[in-house]
Amino acid sequence: MSGAQGKAVEIKPKIKYLSASELIAQRHAEVESPRNGLKRTSIEHSAEEKEELKNAYANLRLQLSARRIERQAGRAIAIWRDDQQAAEVVRKDGKFDSFGYSQQGKLYLEYYEALFLLELNRLQLEYYEMIVSIEQAYVLLLGEEASERYNNYLVYSALSRAGYIVVRHQAGCRTPSSNVVTSEDCIWALLEASLNNKPVPLYIKVSQYYNATQERMVQLKQQIRNQTTETITDESSTNNEPSTFKFDTRKRRAKSEPTEELPSKRASTTRNSLIDNLKAETSYTKFQQTFEKLDIVQLHNEDYQCDFDTTTRNFEISFDLHLHNEGFRRSAPKTPTFSVIILQHDEPFPTHVEMLHCQRQQLQAEQRAPLLVISVSESKHIQAFLYYIS
Amino acid sequence: MEFTPNFKRKRSNFKDYIKFAPFPSNPDGQRYQGVFNGLSVEVADSKHKPIRILHDNGCYGKGSNSRGGPISGEPDETLLLGLEEACVLAYYLDILEIKDTLDKDITWQEYVKAALEYDKEFISKLAAYLYLKSKNWIIKSGIKFGGDFLIYKQGPRHFHASFLVLVHTSAYISNTHYVGKNLKGAQRVAETSDKDVLILGVNEPKDFDPALPTPAALECLTIDETVIRRFNYTSFVQSKQKQ
Repeated sequence: MSGAQGKAVEIKPKIKYLSASELIAQRHAEVESPRNGLKRTSIEHSAEEKEELKNAYANLRLQLSARRIERQAGRAIAIWRDDQQAAEVVRKDGKFDSFGYSQQGKLYLEYYEALFLLELNRLQLEYYEMIVSIEQAYVLLLGEEASERYNNYLVYSALSRAGYIVVRHQAGCRTPSSNVVTSEDCIWALLEASLNNKPVPLYIKVSQYYNATQERMVQLKQQIRNQTTETITDESSTNNEPSTFKFDTRKRRAKSEPTEELPSKRASTTRNSLIDNLKAETSYTKFQQTFEKLDIVQLHNEDYQCDFDTTTRNFEISFDLHLHNEGFRRSAPKTPTFSVIILQHDEPFPTHVEMLHCQRQQLQAEQRAPLLVISVSESKHIQAFLYYIS
Repeated sequence: MEFTPNFKRKRSNFKDYIKFAPFPSNPDGQRYQGVFNGLSVEVADSKHKPIRILHDNGCYGKGSNSRGGPISGEPDETLLLGLEEACVLAYYLDILEIKDTLDKDITWQEYVKAALEYDKEFISKLAAYLYLKSKNWIIKSGIKFGGDFLIYKQGPRHFHASFLVLVHTSAYISNTHYVGKNLKGAQRVAETSDKDVLILGVNEPKDFDPALPTPAALECLTIDETVIRRFNYTSFVQSKQKQ
C-alpha cells in the first residue's frame, strides 16, 4: 500500500477553470472608458499629449479585450453567407418575430441584426464551420473599410434597445388591387392630393377618367365658393358614391380656425403653412384688410420638377420603426410609426426640397410615416430630429 | 404627426393689450418722419406723433436708450426701426416717410438699393418679414438668439417668442443653416425658452432681379417652411408603452 501511495498520479487540468464566484464577477463586469478632465477640442501634438493618447488607447484595448463570459444555452445558430451578405438561421431559439427576412423558406438576418443578436448573446454565428468571435464579427459583418454600415448598426442597436421594432425600410410601389382604374379612384386620389399632399399616382394620372374628374372637381370647387345653385350635369359622377355621401355634421372645425387660405390668392396652393395659428386671433379679424394687403409673398407651391436640380441630395430611408404593442407582424407590416433617415457625420441636414423628395419616395409605397432624421456624430453620439415641413 | 407651435405665456400683469392694434393707425394722414442713417431708420419723438404709439401698436423698433420700447423717458430718445420693418411701414402701410440725412425723400427703389448695400439678403428678409407679418406675428430682431427674426404671439410682453426664424435664399447647398453644428446650436439656444427653429426658404424665379421696380414686385417670391425639432426617441417609446 505504501508503494502505491508513492505512485499516486496528480491530475492537473489542462484548462484552468474559474470558480463560481469568479464566474459571476467576470460575467457582469461593467466596462466604461475612463473620462477625466474637460473635453478638449484640438490636437496640440505635444509629447505629453501623445503619451496620454497612447495610454488611453492601451486602456481601451485592455477593456475591450477582457474576456466576456456568457451563458451558452439559449443561442440561435446562424451561418454567414458571403454571397447573400446575410446570416442564414439554421437553428432558432427564442422569439424571432421582429428579426430577419425569409427567402425560399429560409430565414436570413441582416448584418446589423446578426451583430445585435450576437452582442446580446442570442446568436452563435458560424463562418466556414468556425464560431465567429465578436471581434471577428465586427470585421466580417461591418467590413474592414470604414463604411456607413457601422453607423447603421449603431442606429439599429440604439433604437432596438430603446424599445422599437426596427426593420429595413419597406420600399417598392404597391400596385392597386385591381388594375381597372375607375373614376372613383380618380376622385379619391385627387382628394388625397388636395387634403394630404399625397401625389397622384401615375396609374391614376394615365387613366381616361383623370382629366375629366379633375375638371369636374375644379368646377365643383368654384360652385361651392361662389355659392351658386346652378347644377353642372356630369354623367360620370351621378351614379357614383358621392351622391349617397352624407356629410358628418358632428365634428366640424371651429369657425375661427382657418381651414383654407384666402381663395382669391391661394387657390392653387395645396400645402399648408405651419404658422397660420394667429389668423384666428381677434386682432387678425379686426385688421384683416391690412393683413391681406401685406399678403404679397405666398407659401411656396411645390413645383417639384423645377425645384429638384443637381445640387439636391438624395436621402435614403434606412429603417422603419414599429412599436411593440401595436401588433407588429413581419409578414404583413402596417404603416410604421416612423421612417428613419440616417445622417452621416458632417453631412448637412436635409433641406425642404430634399425632405419633400424623400417623402415622395415614401408616399409611392403608400406608407406615410413621419420621417425621423437621425444624426450620428463624430463621437458616435446618436440624436434624432423630427421634421415638419409646409 | 401634427405640428403645433409653442405659445408660452409670460408672467405679466400687463393685460390691456387689446387696446393696442397690430398696426399704428394713421387717422390724420400724417406720416411719421424717419431718417435713414445707413443702419436703421431713426424716428424722432414729437408731441404730435409720439414714437410710443408707433412702438406699442405692433412693437416696431427699439428705443435708442432703452432695452425694448422707448421707455427711458429721456427727451432725446429716438425709435430705431430695422430695415425690414421700416420698409414695410413706409412702402406697404404708408405710415412712415423715410428721408435721408439731407432731408430728401427716399423712394422705394433708392431704399432697396441702399438696404442691399448694407445687407445682401435684404430682399429675402423683407419677403420673410412680409410673409410673417401677414400672418399676424409680432416680429423682432433675432440677433440675440443668433437668427434673423424672433416671432411672437401678441408681443414680447405677453408671450415668449414661439420661433427663432432663419431666412435663406434658394441657394440651398451653400447655405450654412443646415450644417449640423449650426442647426444644433440654434436649436439648443432656442429650446432654452421653448422656441422652435423655423427655417424659411425664399424661392426666387430664375430671372430674378433684386432691384425691384415696385413694392408689389415681391409677389414673384415664394416661401417654404421647415421646422426641425430635436426628438427624444426613448421617452417617446416609453410614453407609448405606458398607454
